[in-house]
Amino acid sequence: MTLLRRFLDFLYSAAGVLAALCLIAILSLIVIQMIARWTGEVFPGAPDYAGYAMAAASFFAFANALSRGAHIRVSILLNAVSPGPKRLLEIWCFGLGAAIAWYFTYYAYNFVYYSWRFNEISQGQDATMMWIPQSVMVVGGSLLAIALTDNLLHVLTTGDHRIVRDTIESHGE
Amino acid sequence: AEKWDMPMAYSASNFHSENGAEFASCVTKGTQGEIEITTHPGGSLFAGADIKRAIQTGQVQIGERLMSGHQNENAVFGFDSIPFLAPSFDASAKLFEAAKPKMSELLEEQNLVMLYAVPWPPQGLYFNKEVNSVEDMKGLKFRSYNNATSRLAELTGMLPVTIEAAEISQAFATGVAESMISSGATGYDRKVWESLSHFYEVDAWLPYNYVMVNKEIWDGTSEANQGIITSCAKEAEMNGLKASKAYTQFTMDGLAEGGMAVGPAGDALMGELRAIGETMTAEWLEAAGDDGKAIVDAYKASN
Amino acid sequence: MTEIYAIGLFLFVLFLLLGTGVWVGLALMGVAWVGMELFTTRPVGDVMITTIWASSSSWTLTALPLFIWMGEILYRTRLSEDMFKGLSPWLARLPGGLVHTNIVSCTVFAAVSGSSAATLTTVGKMAIPELRARNYPEKMVIGTLAGAATLGLMIPPSLALIVYGVTVNESITKLFFAGVFPGLVLAGMFMGYVALVSFTSKDWNPNVELGMTFAEKVANSRFLLPVFALITVVIGSMYAGLATATEAAAIGVIGALVLALVQGSLTWDSFRASLMGATRTSAMIALILSGAAFLKLSMGFTGLPRSLADGIAAMELTRFQLLMALLVFYIILGMFLDGISAIVLTMAVVEPMVRGAGIDLIWFGIFVVVVIEMAQITPPIGFNLFVLQGMTDHEMGYITRAALPMFAIMVLMVFVLIWFPELATWLPDNMRNGPS
Ligand code: NA
Ligand code: NA
Repeated sequence: MTLLRRFLDFLYSAAGVLAALCLIAILSLIVIQMIARWTGEVFPGAPDYAGYAMAAASFFAFANALSRGAHIRVSILLNAVSPGPKRLLEIWCFGLGAAIAWYFTYYAYNFVYYSWRFNEISQGQDATMMWIPQSVMVVGGSLLAIALTDNLLHVLTTGDHRIVRDTIESHGE
Repeated sequence: AEKWDMPMAYSASNFHSENGAEFASCVTKGTQGEIEITTHPGGSLFAGADIKRAIQTGQVQIGERLMSGHQNENAVFGFDSIPFLAPSFDASAKLFEAAKPKMSELLEEQNLVMLYAVPWPPQGLYFNKEVNSVEDMKGLKFRSYNNATSRLAELTGMLPVTIEAAEISQAFATGVAESMISSGATGYDRKVWESLSHFYEVDAWLPYNYVMVNKEIWDGTSEANQGIITSCAKEAEMNGLKASKAYTQFTMDGLAEGGMAVGPAGDALMGELRAIGETMTAEWLEAAGDDGKAIVDAYKASN
Repeated sequence: MTEIYAIGLFLFVLFLLLGTGVWVGLALMGVAWVGMELFTTRPVGDVMITTIWASSSSWTLTALPLFIWMGEILYRTRLSEDMFKGLSPWLARLPGGLVHTNIVSCTVFAAVSGSSAATLTTVGKMAIPELRARNYPEKMVIGTLAGAATLGLMIPPSLALIVYGVTVNESITKLFFAGVFPGLVLAGMFMGYVALVSFTSKDWNPNVELGMTFAEKVANSRFLLPVFALITVVIGSMYAGLATATEAAAIGVIGALVLALVQGSLTWDSFRASLMGATRTSAMIALILSGAAFLKLSMGFTGLPRSLADGIAAMELTRFQLLMALLVFYIILGMFLDGISAIVLTMAVVEPMVRGAGIDLIWFGIFVVVVIEMAQITPPIGFNLFVLQGMTDHEMGYITRAALPMFAIMVLMVFVLIWFPELATWLPDNMRNGPS
């Protein structure tokens, strides 16, 4: 159990780091493209690659952002009710959230499978096989779904979720 | 009654979109509401790049797409965008007729039925200075948006810079780009006379917008309604061509009124460009294989 | 009748999901899903993925995380303190004191960034702690920030004006010029409001700043040099033709890193913290944008925004009546959609109405921008409210109330634009015409 626990937490953090690397990739791609233009060189497909890195940076970070409390929700009702109903509300939120995330992941998988099966190629100058960048939706979607399910089970068994907000680091207080 | 959603990539006031809206109401009226088509112009439902796949997979029943956008997938889809192969409305109509059987076959394999296609106004060259020969183009920053336009830049000694459509005006205003190849319509819509000075009507190519319907949906449509849709499509094809020609004149006048020098390219420049066109036709034929060769041969035979 | 049923259903599901605390992005997906399942026969899951992939892999979107990252880096430098040191001698003695730094900083950053969310995170991260430390009323701090950050959409460069210009085929350069004066006027109106409150509010007891001689003030302005250097580099790169609006964001990040390095505040830890903070904030916004993209598509399929606009078109109003109707229409739409989606979804019908009424499309672009600026701060779906919630831990209700006066000022701004259309039209009409 603790091994699984540690593995999952590692998974969310590692994906977050991967997302951060994608952000650096966006920066690098844009800078290289600019320098190429200034020096009369060509870097075909740079905007397309930056777009893929953008998607990867978002999807890889979803689960990490969830466990660090960065995804926002309207918590007026959650804060107003007593612990019993609050637990039910949390079960509803995590349950529905997990359902939406799994639904997303399932169709993302279908989408990517279609791209692979029919050999979809990017319409830009990069001519990338689309299933490769699109796979980040499946990976990121399932990580988010796993994280939501993880928290749902936690609420069901212990009564509370595992989201810890990191107010010191990133919320300007 | 069935409701069909028809995504279109260009803004509602564009002649393709207006023509599509007329086609939609023709079908709605003709089938007495049995099939009601709603157009969604301006990429308000799906953006251009997503429309073909959306129709193929039945996310929408019908839609419009610039087919040459898909030439990475199959070079044959770009037959209408080979520079200087069919440089006029009449020549491009012949080329399209020559390609139609092959295109219909390829699209059918992709679960698509072509209803009609309308050409964009011919592509011309925009510059921020007077240009009389390929030599004059050397070193200019040229807006490229796909492999063919990059190759064109390379063959003319210009520097290809990638500028997304949304940033065209700003890119010219700030000198990020100094030249592009596009129809008069693009320059007119983006008011490029604020930054560019010359437009040469070289009629490099006339890319087509296709209106296509999902094949399963088409097969599930009654024969009577198929007939009505086909006749509406024929009408739309004719009206669209007329509108495209009229719009070409309108945008030429508009560019001139905006202060640009508008006119045909000089003979020397045109000769050099045609030579480049032959190189690019040969390169395209290599990529497009037998299907491509069949199209070009049929086109040349029809001349 | 289908429309009223559809509106009611969308609203019910939206309030149910948001109200019970479902994460905003996922709630929007849920609402969109219900709408599509009920009103279309199309395969919902496939449509959802197509549109989410298209919206999340967009190249133009890359400017957003980069500007957010820039804000995170600057927040960890002495830039915020320095900016306060530089600005406070000039602003401290104005009625309203240092709350004006919120508005001035937003106006300045708006000239660098094309989005409201990026302006908000950049300025908010720096300004909130400083103003809190000086004991300014929290509501004023939050409210002015929420409002002034929307200037990011009006003062060029502006993502909203690019989308509008492309949609209605008007010159983006002209639209950018048109936004300059209205942006400054709106900033001035925000500042006027702050001054007014400082006289009338009982909660207004900020720490008193020390008085300075003019020479001291000028000397203190050296602290503004780093900020102005950064802004000059970012804006300069755009206007000198070295970078497009998107690329300028990358220059901003590098400039911020250089600044942090020079100031000695760039350590491995601060670099990592800024990067991870930016990654998570962008992911939060990306999830909401994904949900919003799907909701926009779902509404597009139901034809709802368009039939509402059709309804207005059928009323055959005078020019002023039309503008009032559109104002109300976009305020309502803006409660539920982000502004850019509202433009794309409705312009097909609104554009001919507006052209038909003889309204200048450049001027109307600025009108639309004011209205979608409002959308940023109206509940239940208001991006600035979301971002501020993430940043401050205040409840949506609190932030909404704090931002309400700014909303009222923006409504007033619409009338100012109607009374003095030259605010928007003079600059674009008089800028250089013809080829350079
Ligand atoms: Na801006
Ligand atoms: Na809103």
